[in-house]
Amino acid sequence: MSYVTAIPLLPAAAFLLLLPLSRKARNSAIWVAVVAIAMAFVLSVMAFAAVWPGGADLAKEPAYHASFPIAVVGDSTIDIGVMLDPFSAAMLVVVTLVALCVQLYSIGYMHRDGRIGWYYAVLSLFTAAMLALVLADNFLMLYLAWEIMGLCSYLLIGYWHEQEAPRRASIKAFLTTRVGDVGFAIGLFLMYVTVGSFEFDAVLGSAADWAPGVATAVALLLLFGAMGKSAQVPLHVWLPDAMAGPTPASALIHAATMVAAGVYLIVRAMPIFEASGIALHVVLGVGLVTALVGALLAAVQHDIKKVLAYSTISQLGYMFIALGAGSAVAGMYHLITHAFFKSLLFLGAGVIIHAYHTQDMRQMGGLARFLPVTTATFAVGSLALAGIFPFSGFWSKDEIVLVLVKDGYYIAAAIALLAAFMTAFYVARLWFRVFTGPRQTEGLHEAHRSMLAPMVLLALITAGIGFGGPALGDFFGYKIPWPDPAIAGVSSGVAVAGLLLGWWAYGRRSVVLNTRTLKMRAGFIYGMLSQKLYFDLAYEYLAIRPFVKAASGLAAFDLARVDKIVTGAGSAWSRIAGISELFDRHVVDGGVNGMARGAWVLGRKARSIQSGRIQSYQRFALASLILLLMLVVMKG
Amino acid sequence: MTIGLEAFLGLSAVLFALGLYGAVSKRSAVMVLMSLELMAVAISLNMVAFSRFVTPEKMTGQFFAIFSMVVSAAEIGLGLALVVAIYRRARSIELPSLERLKG
Amino acid sequence: MAESVDALPFVVFASAAIGGAIGMLISRNVVYAAFWLLWVMLSVGGLYLLLAAEFLALMQVMVYAGAVSVLMLFVIMLTLRRREDAVRPLDFSPLAAMLAAAFLGIMYFGITRSDIPTAQMPAQAPDTADLGVILFTIEGGWALPFEIASVLLLVAMVAAVWWSKEHKKR
Repeated sequence: MSYVTAIPLLPAAAFLLLLPLSRKARNSAIWVAVVAIAMAFVLSVMAFAAVWPGGADLAKEPAYHASFPIAVVGDSTIDIGVMLDPFSAAMLVVVTLVALCVQLYSIGYMHRDGRIGWYYAVLSLFTAAMLALVLADNFLMLYLAWEIMGLCSYLLIGYWHEQEAPRRASIKAFLTTRVGDVGFAIGLFLMYVTVGSFEFDAVLGSAADWAPGVATAVALLLLFGAMGKSAQVPLHVWLPDAMAGPTPASALIHAATMVAAGVYLIVRAMPIFEASGIALHVVLGVGLVTALVGALLAAVQHDIKKVLAYSTISQLGYMFIALGAGSAVAGMYHLITHAFFKSLLFLGAGVIIHAYHTQDMRQMGGLARFLPVTTATFAVGSLALAGIFPFSGFWSKDEIVLVLVKDGYYIAAAIALLAAFMTAFYVARLWFRVFTGPRQTEGLHEAHRSMLAPMVLLALITAGIGFGGPALGDFFGYKIPWPDPAIAGVSSGVAVAGLLLGWWAYGRRSVVLNTRTLKMRAGFIYGMLSQKLYFDLAYEYLAIRPFVKAASGLAAFDLARVDKIVTGAGSAWSRIAGISELFDRHVVDGGVNGMARGAWVLGRKARSIQSGRIQSYQRFALASLILLLMLVVMKG
Repeated sequence: MTIGLEAFLGLSAVLFALGLYGAVSKRSAVMVLMSLELMAVAISLNMVAFSRFVTPEKMTGQFFAIFSMVVSAAEIGLGLALVVAIYRRARSIELPSLERLKG
Repeated sequence: MAESVDALPFVVFASAAIGGAIGMLISRNVVYAAFWLLWVMLSVGGLYLLLAAEFLALMQVMVYAGAVSVLMLFVIMLTLRRREDAVRPLDFSPLAAMLAAAFLGIMYFGITRSDIPTAQMPAQAPDTADLGVILFTIEGGWALPFEIASVLLLVAMVAAVWWSKEHKKR
């Protein structure tokens, strides 16, 4: 089964092949990426089949494990390794399938873009990193893959870097997740100090024996990292802005995979969380807040992609709720279903935006007649999101509520149901706004086949996967029962109520809850919500502005003082040089010039003998003669 | 007082000195030439005096004087011709104004 | 002719010569100076007679006093633009005076320190006939220099004529 190692390597190879090419060559070589991901998908299915039917034992003992040492530090070695167990096998299939759908869809969606080759290259690298993360057998490798994904997210959000919004959004995403990553790294250090290894088996096996304080610290630090990556409150602020990137990239990264990495991390590190009871409660609390806040904010967005972004935040909160209640499997279940229906919704949003050339829902309407396939698939995804039977969302959301109730978290369950109500409401709002009502634009047309095919596939999966819940549970080694009728009834009722409210507000002839009414009736709340609960503003004033001020202050200091020292040294040196120059000018040149002058003066004086005055000549001659005579006479 | 050789020698020395003074100090070319003649005459006198007092039968001094006279005549002739020629060119025979040899 | 030179004629001629020389030097008029030169020449001729050089005395008067001085006057006239130009300032040069004085000093030393026979003068002196023989005959020894002297005079004459010719400007 060593082909498992090849699964992340295939898209990585695609990236490396595309990277050094020129723009034109790259643009015509995107099929390399698609082929790579298709092959990875095939291998993933094979691996999944090899692990099926799975079971609890496999959860303890992986089906395949291989590791390769890459560094030696002191007397310990750092390995990277590949571990295939039910969780990773399931994630392999999910990731490669969604990635394949996104890449196929992107052929049509991005086909007029001039840098499409680079887009596919980064997509491939991202997929490779996600697959490596999923297959990792130690926390360090997981962290490395985590970071690479962060880089790819930055590159893809800022793909259209000619405009300012994507640039700022990409930096915001990177920095916000970075904040979480710092916590993650510190947690890793603590882990290593405690255990002396990053390996899953070593760490997780011994987690029960750690001191509770240590376990809590490590768990909370890892949680902090997960909160950044999975956009939990308060580190959620980057995800809505990340919608500035290409829609299919958002589908892959910000719906199905990268944001799920935080959930996956906690799933893997569950023993640590269980060793510290407090950490789980924190997770639950975080998840509840996020689910609620996400749903509330999604209800007041005008941009279709932002609705989906906040929806993702909210759904991730649901996953955290599940984890916080101690059920990793419930969290995984929702992760898987969410991956399919949310990516479906994003792809559909791409089609809608293509048709309308705008992302503002207020300018949309009446799409149903013109884009039938899109309408149908989007409806499937929406119903799944709302949690309506028989679609996938119903099953996974229900499971979460069940777990909450079973473990006695009644308040949490109530909050979860409230969030479910809001979810249904905003889903209805979106659907009715876009697909029904008066048409506001001309020239609407359905998307190309290559874009519709992945959507249909995803819709089919969304429709059917729910029925495989128990089988999935067995695969993971936990029991996922058929829904309890009481719970199912309550959650369904809540969802339907939400949908009805949405229909009443937005689905009828005239929109009831438009912005003006909202402002009038619920001005305060609406104001809070439309300002995204002031998270961004708070960060801006409390963190960003002081930081920028400090940075520019330091820069000014550097310019004024430090540079002054440098310039001062430079000018002191030039002054010394000036003295040397003076010396050179006066002494050296003076000497030389002086000699020349002396010779000239001497010459002039000597020349005066040659005056041309005859009598001068006479006198000189005579004087010399008389001198000679004197000598002669004196001598003799 | 007997007039001996010293008297003649002293006389010729004085004449020569006077001619010397004239040759060096005069500005007119003609004056210089005249001073030169004076000097030549003084020398001739000297030679003749020596000849008379020491070896009169050889008369060497006299011959010196004769030939000195010849040469002086030639010299004067040429010199004056030169002066005339210079005068034609430079319109003057003042030595200070004839400084063409200035280097 | 005589055993010694008589004092009186010598003093007369000597003072005349020196006086004339000084006169030539301090004269402001160039023409006067030329005449003073003439006077000096005549005086020296007289001195030659005292020294028993009669032929020489005659030559002196004929050449110097007759030709040279006249030639001087010729040229002076030729190079005068106006009659007034004959008068010129006295050129006194201290340097020249010093040089002349230095020379006299040296001469004084030379005359007084050397071995010169004084007052003694041989009685017999040859006369002009003897001079003629020595000068014009080969046995006398001075015939060749004589001829050469005449060639010299010829050359000088030709040169003087050529030099004083007016050269037409081209």
